[in-house]
Amino acid sequence: MSTAYPIPSDISPATVKNTASLLRIVALSLISGAAIASRLFAVINFESIIHEFDPWFNYRATRVLAAKGFYEFWNWFDPTAWYPLGRVVGGTVYPGLMVTSGVIYNILHFLNLPVDIRNVCVLLAPGFSALTAWATYMFTKEMKDESAGLLAAAFIGIVPGYISRSVAGSYDNEAIAIFLLMFTFYCWIKALKQGSALFGTIAAVFYFYMVAAWGGYVFITNMIPLHALVLVLMGRFSDRLYVAYSSWYAIGTLASMQVPFVGFQPVSTSEHMGALGVFGLLQIVAFAQLVRTHVSSQQFQKLLFGSVVAIGVLGFFSFIFLTYKGKIAPWTGRFYSLWDTGYAKKYIPIIASVSEHQPTAWPSFFMDLQFLIFLFPAGVVLCFRELRDEHLFVIIYAVMASYFAGVMVRLMLTLTPVVCVASAVALSTLLDTYIDPTEPVADDDTRSEADSTVTSNGSSAPSKKAKKAAAAAVSAPSKGPLSDLVAAATGSAHAGTGNITTGIFGLDSRGVVVLNVVFMLMFFVFHCTWVTSNAYSSPSVVLASTNPDGSQHIIDDFREAYYWLRQNTPQDAVVMSWWDYGYQIAGMADRPTLVDNNTWNNTHIATVGKAMSSSEEVAYPILRKHDVDYVLVIFGGLIGYSGDDINKFLWMVRIAQGVWPEEIQEPNYFTSQGEYRIDDRASQTMKDSLMYKMSYYRFNELFGGNPGTDRVRQQQVPKEGPTLDYLDEAFTSENWIVSLFPSLSYLAPHHFFRSTSDASNCICSRNSDSDFVSMSLLVLPRW
Amino acid sequence: MFALKRVLLLAVGLASLVSATSSTGNSVLVVVEPKRQDDFSMFFEGLKDQGYELTFRQPKDEKPLIAEYDVAAFAHVVLLASETKNFAKDITPQSLVDLLRLKTNLIIALSTKQTPLSLLAPEFSLILPPPGTPLISYFPKRDEPASLVPITPTKRDATQIISDTSKPIWFSGVPQALGSNPQLVPILHAPAESFASEIDGGSADALVDSAEKGGEGLWAGSQLSVVTGFQTLDGARVTWVGGVDLFSDELAQKVGPDGLKSGNAAFARDIVAWTFQESLVLRIDKVEHHRVNETGPSELYTTNDELVFNAYISKFNPKQGSWEPYSGINDMQLEFTMLDPHIRTALPPVRSVPGKYSVTFRAPDRHGVFKFVVDYKRKGWSHLHSSVTVPIVPPRHDGYPRFLSAAWPYYAGAISTSIAFFLFSALWLAGEVRESAKRPGKAGKAE
Amino acid sequence: MAPKSTPASSETAFNAFNTLWKAYRDGTSDRLKFIDSFLFFLMLSGIVQFAYCILVSNFPYNAFLAGFSSTVGQFVLAASLRSQVNPDNKDEFKDVSPERAFADFALGSIVLHFFVYNFLG
Repeated sequence: MSTAYPIPSDISPATVKNTASLLRIVALSLISGAAIASRLFAVINFESIIHEFDPWFNYRATRVLAAKGFYEFWNWFDPTAWYPLGRVVGGTVYPGLMVTSGVIYNILHFLNLPVDIRNVCVLLAPGFSALTAWATYMFTKEMKDESAGLLAAAFIGIVPGYISRSVAGSYDNEAIAIFLLMFTFYCWIKALKQGSALFGTIAAVFYFYMVAAWGGYVFITNMIPLHALVLVLMGRFSDRLYVAYSSWYAIGTLASMQVPFVGFQPVSTSEHMGALGVFGLLQIVAFAQLVRTHVSSQQFQKLLFGSVVAIGVLGFFSFIFLTYKGKIAPWTGRFYSLWDTGYAKKYIPIIASVSEHQPTAWPSFFMDLQFLIFLFPAGVVLCFRELRDEHLFVIIYAVMASYFAGVMVRLMLTLTPVVCVASAVALSTLLDTYIDPTEPVADDDTRSEADSTVTSNGSSAPSKKAKKAAAAAVSAPSKGPLSDLVAAATGSAHAGTGNITTGIFGLDSRGVVVLNVVFMLMFFVFHCTWVTSNAYSSPSVVLASTNPDGSQHIIDDFREAYYWLRQNTPQDAVVMSWWDYGYQIAGMADRPTLVDNNTWNNTHIATVGKAMSSSEEVAYPILRKHDVDYVLVIFGGLIGYSGDDINKFLWMVRIAQGVWPEEIQEPNYFTSQGEYRIDDRASQTMKDSLMYKMSYYRFNELFGGNPGTDRVRQQQVPKEGPTLDYLDEAFTSENWIVSLFPSLSYLAPHHFFRSTSDASNCICSRNSDSDFVSMSLLVLPRW
Repeated sequence: MFALKRVLLLAVGLASLVSATSSTGNSVLVVVEPKRQDDFSMFFEGLKDQGYELTFRQPKDEKPLIAEYDVAAFAHVVLLASETKNFAKDITPQSLVDLLRLKTNLIIALSTKQTPLSLLAPEFSLILPPPGTPLISYFPKRDEPASLVPITPTKRDATQIISDTSKPIWFSGVPQALGSNPQLVPILHAPAESFASEIDGGSADALVDSAEKGGEGLWAGSQLSVVTGFQTLDGARVTWVGGVDLFSDELAQKVGPDGLKSGNAAFARDIVAWTFQESLVLRIDKVEHHRVNETGPSELYTTNDELVFNAYISKFNPKQGSWEPYSGINDMQLEFTMLDPHIRTALPPVRSVPGKYSVTFRAPDRHGVFKFVVDYKRKGWSHLHSSVTVPIVPPRHDGYPRFLSAAWPYYAGAISTSIAFFLFSALWLAGEVRESAKRPGKAGKAE
Repeated sequence: MAPKSTPASSETAFNAFNTLWKAYRDGTSDRLKFIDSFLFFLMLSGIVQFAYCILVSNFPYNAFLAGFSSTVGQFVLAASLRSQVNPDNKDEFKDVSPERAFADFALGSIVLHFFVYNFLG
């Protein structure tokens, strides 16, 4: 047996094995470090702050949990949300995230480490990303081997598609859910491979944790049964499958019903019926198998087969019948919108209005996954080559997740792990092939030539690589040859392959490919770092722009306004705003809100939409009825912040129209040419609407009475600005992003807070046109 | 009894020792033209005797200001300068509205001329006839000019404000047609046979024109009001008097054709008492809510709790100048509201405790943020409004019955399964031991 | 668990059952029969509870679910144990020795009963 480069032969197999496992541990810990470190951009660039919208609620809930204990949290009724309906938080929340933080917080305090709960929350997502990397390693190890596992762990550690949801401060359910997803899948695969009820039980327990943590648990609920079903249909039923699936389903389903928010759904909604059906099918098939072992009568088997089919058909029809009778809830609207992308826009505008629910744009696949997106299909194809039971799982997962990621931006998150796994399998196969020192049997002279010429160079190739592998992520591939060494030394894979006929000749061809791969990996690291630091680390509570001299300019209008509310208004002053800002107002300003990001009551949201989109005379009684003291408006026209309320305004109109089609009609808000304008040509309904009036109230005064230019819409506002009769201006933040309008019934002294220093700020921001364009670009991916 | 005595005292012009005080303050600014100040000396003396501190000011004087830095300088303002067309800078219709917002009470006299004040009147839903058209009545037959009308209060007038309805009140000035504003309190109506017209009986064209324009019909009959009160939502009171002469010494001392003395002085006193928040002034001292059988309030209540709501109401006693518990309201209601009232119930007085009103009711089976709302608005009386927010929450997780008798078959099932499991495990393990003991060879193979 | 179908002719079905029963009696070890009796008891218990739920009342629905799933869960776990200790399946469960199978079974059952009792009340 010849080798392309010399392999030390005097090392005992035990040493190689120990060294390999030590290196694996080191590599895994380095990967964890890289995964955590790359998520800290947000903290370093800004500060340790909770990001976005939903995390603010999670944070607030966690504080309640940490301060008052679990039972108070469970019974928490929040009277300040959805005023005056209130929200039963304990029963309408996935508590997994908060409980996790609460447990960590209590453990740290038990150890006399007085860590602030906010820091626990901010750093939870990076911490769990390290665990995700480990779970992915375990999962991929089951698919191929340790080297592929390490590659997959490195990929998932830094891939932007996952980082986008797990930067420090992004304290959302997904932060822990992806770890749970991967670990549940790992346990499932393990249970299936061994036929072990133990792993089935562990999978069920983690499934329970997942159910408690994220609504996306339905993905698992359908993935595992689908896998089992495909196995049965392919004739791969085995007792192992029966053991794994039955133990997982029986315990997991019962456990999932303990979560108050889920309740009886697992036995009453269509989304969960697939799992139940497969469970029943497996029982029947197992029974049939058992009978078959005892009887070999041809006739009887026919009978058995017929009865199995009959029972399956019967079960299917009874399912339809029960759905029809209303015993089983039909698919929810969100689910339909997965199949028909136009469905949500037509029937449930509130879902369609969320940018996360839009179909994914093609560039974002590349932005989030970079070169993994090319390797991904290769990995899937490689799975077909062996096609063991677990490979089938990856294939199904890949197909389903690709589809869902194409339908909804936010489901990119579920695609990312399988992309990492498949790409790692592909890449590690490639590296295995090309680093494999074994030379194929060929003409003797060619081989000896190659041997003699490149032997001296040979040993330097991996060492060069090792140097480059300083970056933790890239260190993974360097394990490739080592594991091969192990394989060679332990003699399992390649020992007996002295006379193989296919393979790679020489070191140069090896070098070209391996160096190419290394280059791609390095470029991947650069790309991930760049995307993470530029696109995914903005807290969106604090905006950043660049001054003309290159220094960073922080736009902190949101917090300015929220703290103004907190300090200047009575504790029970009700604030009305569009639902996007509900959680932030509750979290930062601590004031009751009408609607928030937990969009459970469409009518209430439509009421706010109606108030915003109708004239003052119509809106005022609505405001009075809901005891509104302040109206909060986000306006980006001055600095070019594109995520403002005027741009969301059409959604308010649409949602209001869904409930009051007589009073609010979307076409009225367009010009006669069908354009959405805010300048002189805007329709009268548009100009009369509360939102328009509040946004452009006294806007012209900033421009010395000349018509001002809205920098988002790039239009001039009308010469005489709108006037307000029922509302008054109380506060406008520095860059005009946030304005507050108290309704006049509120008898506090009138606050006019547009500090004079703003004018200078406005001018300076007007001078730096391009900066704000770039800023809004950076903000875009989050909206 | 007291009212009679006071009327007597005023009528004979004696200095009264009895004083009545306002609930909101004693400082009064009187804006009056200097040449007419002496005409109202009895009125002013009467006010002083009651303990009011009068400050006089000419319409064009700059000082004293009626309000400075958003703080009202006086508790009450009497504008008797009904003929003045140009006031000082700080007296404008807008500033008077602002004064009302600062809870200053106003008495405003109108005249047949068009002045800033008559332009303000429509804002209070008072529709004035065109300029130069006073109230005229030829009945009863008398020597006085037709524009000086004796009005005897009837049942239709605000009898809770007017203390003596037996004497005629001599009136000279403009009547007001009333709009539909519910905050208006018509105090004295015009006689049925009176109407607004030019004095010399000249052409009525202008009148007809403006009547058509206004769409209110002619200014005639007992629909018209001559003295009209208005109470703002905040509780400030303003009284519009059709003619300033109502307050004059001359009319106060006048004796009517049938020998009856004039009721003007007493009526002026009544107007002042109402406007300056002496009479018909109520307030809610405090409200309480708690569960039945508890005493202290709770931060939140559970659905279907039995709740108790108490309100304590006082009435101002001008004689003593103090607040006294008042149990005289029999038609007050309590609403328990979330967006819409879920419960609306009577809030009756408790006989044993003066001033206390109490009701017990069951909270609705609906969670949310509810308000106890008391909203009592009656013409002439000060408005009572109280709104207390309280969350109603669903029962706690341990607030439901945990073990139900209906479920015992299932309990039995679950427990039997567990017992069976333990039995099975024990037997299984025992069997394993026995098996390995019996047939060590086979057990060894199984390993 | 599964009803044994509706045979075309009762005679053949009876014969088939007979052979099945005979084959079962002869070809199954005592230990497996012991498990089977346990399974049979669980099945009866589950059927009774289900029938009670359908015929009488499903009022404390969570109690029904807990009781019923405890029988179902225990059933499938025991069935898993049965297939794992069945000597016929030895090559399928290479990693699972009979002792480990019982340990798995016991652990799974304990977790199951924990959830059952949590859900019962």
